[in-house]
Amino acid sequence: MGDLFTGYSTGAFFDEMFAAPGQPHPHYQRLYERLGELSRAEYDERLRLADIAFLYQGITFTVYSAQDGIERIFPFDLVPRIIPQSEWQLIDSGLRQRVTALNMFLYDIYHDQRIIRAGLVPAELVLGAASFCHQMVGVEPPGGVYIHINGSDLVRDEHGRYMVLEDNGRSPSGVSYVLENRAAMKRTFPRLFERTGVLPVEHYPQALLETLRSVAPSGVEQPTVVLMTPGVYNSAYFEHSFLARQMGIELVEGRDLVASDNRIYMRTIRGLQQVDVIYRRIDDAFLDPLAFRSDSSLGCPGLFNAYRAGNVTLANAVGTGVADDKAIYAFVPAMIRFYLSEEPLLDNVPTYQASDPSDRTYILENLDKLVVKSVNESGGYGMLIGPHASDAERAEFATKIRAQPRSFIAQPTLALSRHPTFVDGHFEGRHVDFRPYILYGSEITLVPGGLTRVALQKDSLVVNSSQGGGSKDTWVLDE
Amino acid sequence: MLSRVAESLFWMSRYLERAEDVARIIAVNFQASLDAPEISQALAWEPMIAITGERQLYAASFERYDQASVTAFLTRHPENRNAILSCIGRARENARAVREQISREMWEEINRLYHVVYGADVDSILRNPYDFFSQIRNGSHLFQGVTDATMAHSEGWEFIQAGKYLERADKTARILDVKYGALTTNTGGEGAPLGSLQWIALLKSCSAFEPYRRSHSQLQSWRVVDFLLLDRTFPRSVAFCLEHTRRSLARLSDSPLDRPSNAAERLLGRLYAELTYLDIREALADLHGYLDDMEHKLNAVGESIAQTYFVPNVLPPSVAAPSRYYEAQQQQQQ
Repeated sequence: MGDLFTGYSTGAFFDEMFAAPGQPHPHYQRLYERLGELSRAEYDERLRLADIAFLYQGITFTVYSAQDGIERIFPFDLVPRIIPQSEWQLIDSGLRQRVTALNMFLYDIYHDQRIIRAGLVPAELVLGAASFCHQMVGVEPPGGVYIHINGSDLVRDEHGRYMVLEDNGRSPSGVSYVLENRAAMKRTFPRLFERTGVLPVEHYPQALLETLRSVAPSGVEQPTVVLMTPGVYNSAYFEHSFLARQMGIELVEGRDLVASDNRIYMRTIRGLQQVDVIYRRIDDAFLDPLAFRSDSSLGCPGLFNAYRAGNVTLANAVGTGVADDKAIYAFVPAMIRFYLSEEPLLDNVPTYQASDPSDRTYILENLDKLVVKSVNESGGYGMLIGPHASDAERAEFATKIRAQPRSFIAQPTLALSRHPTFVDGHFEGRHVDFRPYILYGSEITLVPGGLTRVALQKDSLVVNSSQGGGSKDTWVLDE
Repeated sequence: MLSRVAESLFWMSRYLERAEDVARIIAVNFQASLDAPEISQALAWEPMIAITGERQLYAASFERYDQASVTAFLTRHPENRNAILSCIGRARENARAVREQISREMWEEINRLYHVVYGADVDSILRNPYDFFSQIRNGSHLFQGVTDATMAHSEGWEFIQAGKYLERADKTARILDVKYGALTTNTGGEGAPLGSLQWIALLKSCSAFEPYRRSHSQLQSWRVVDFLLLDRTFPRSVAFCLEHTRRSLARLSDSPLDRPSNAAERLLGRLYAELTYLDIREALADLHGYLDDMEHKLNAVGESIAQTYFVPNVLPPSVAAPSRYYEAQQQQQQ
């Protein structure tokens, strides 16, 4: 009989597994019993098998350090996070609503800008955003869809209420871990898996391919879809390669593509082959040296013209960054009301805009209580966690905020929910978030599941892979 | 298949073969020079620099031709593009660039081989050379075996074969060119019966000694040349290698062997035909001239393969522009 839960404390936080010490939520009951049967040795053995499997598969990410690039396996915790169907339905409908509003917002700001003229979103915040792409004004992407793949990060407060922490509508990553984690869980806890009604996630690559095909330029019967990667030196390269293989599509770099007559072709050993849809994991600025940064060696000259001419579809579209801009984030509830005449089903986290004078004052006076984020960074970089920071760090951020207020927002430090995680031979609570992936093509598809990221360090709130995070499999139950 | 991918597979294979051949040459030379200490170091070691064609570069960094210097130059010298370390490094870079095209076992093997060479300093190599060079040879053989056993024998595999055989043909021709020239100058002409260990060393450089012995009871210079150029069954002979390169190209273009469909196949076909109908005495009359000409033609075949299938890229695939390296890292993956 195991004792892995001995001494487990939920603290002051909402615990995903336990309603009270020793009392799991109903949807965790079976898992709790199973884990309770395991001794430390048995658990360690399962962990070892899972780790070997990961090494085998080579799902890694690269940390920006030495020239050589250090490849790391994203730490994986065997205890899955479980979401009952009732909660999932709220998440599903809330995120569908959200991605619909975001796409309508993007169409609007690149056309009539009604939401700006209605005074609901400040013009300077939109037009002054670094990610606003003036060349996209008037462009008609197929179906009016800009964000084809959205990765929305969800957190829960101390009452267990789900909130959207941010959207990632440019190049959301991590879905390869979702698929690999599921495969690892099936290997390590096969019996438990069978008896718990866990909804599958393995069809994500197929769903993604369908989504991409559905947004091909009109008239193309059998679209050729490719995945455009910056190449082996990018930290997420393995995901690019993984997804391309899973979808059975070609993995290309900018230098494999050539524009001719406003169409895009890839260079193959049989000659040039036309490309219809490009799932690109390259920043807007590097896509096309003729349209954007001329020093980019990653893009394809002429790509943007072909895109504007409607001869190739880019997923996600160019210029989506303005929708997941952290300052614009605060206006998403307003977008939902304006475009859909609905109340948001999922709430935002309260957000203060440093560009707003009264918000800015509040932020500067409360740096020790707030989380300050740089509008344009991701990966957990450019962030200040007030309560954990030193006086010097806070002072440094204060200076930056005063110098470039438009670049910062702040949010209260959330009491993020925690989940039992295996640490030093037993379970301890660690903060988690959750990222489902929403696919938007001719229809919206949400694969039931997503990436649960866990901050492995005690009391840490930073879940990103590059900064000491790990992940868990996520089980959405069929009931 | 993307041209860039085909090119990377081709060069991964060529560089690995090159590393193996350099390892083989050095290893045999070690043995030969031990067996015949009366032969000057220069005679024993200088030809090896000639084989890899880096005489000037060598002279700039080393004063003499001796075991330690030549070994250092050919295994690890940072400026020598044809050093074993450099070749395996490039093979690995190419493999990494197309990692999803090769099997996991292939990647693991080439990665392992790289680390073996990377971790061995010149002193440890000199202390135990046979061990080191065996590891390279065995690693290369293992890689080839793993490739054959785990990779689908489709287009990617054909490019790997073509690269391997083309490189091997070139190296065999070079070894023959250089060693034969050195030997005939010093042992009284090609007609003389041979007892010289250097002839055995020449055959062993191509792993050909035992196969040769099975076919011929006597060591005669012209027979050796004939064997290394024309033998149909020995896998390192020039004819064998050209034949297999031809087969790969024919399968790639899906055309019959005797009906070349592109410039590369035509050039290769012509070269192979010349070899097939060669009167060995013509070649021996001016072997150096003959082999030099062959090496140029092999180069032309390589160029032609690139023109046909790879469409010249702005930058060679194994070397990334520094800007691409930094730019690729910068791309935000949210």
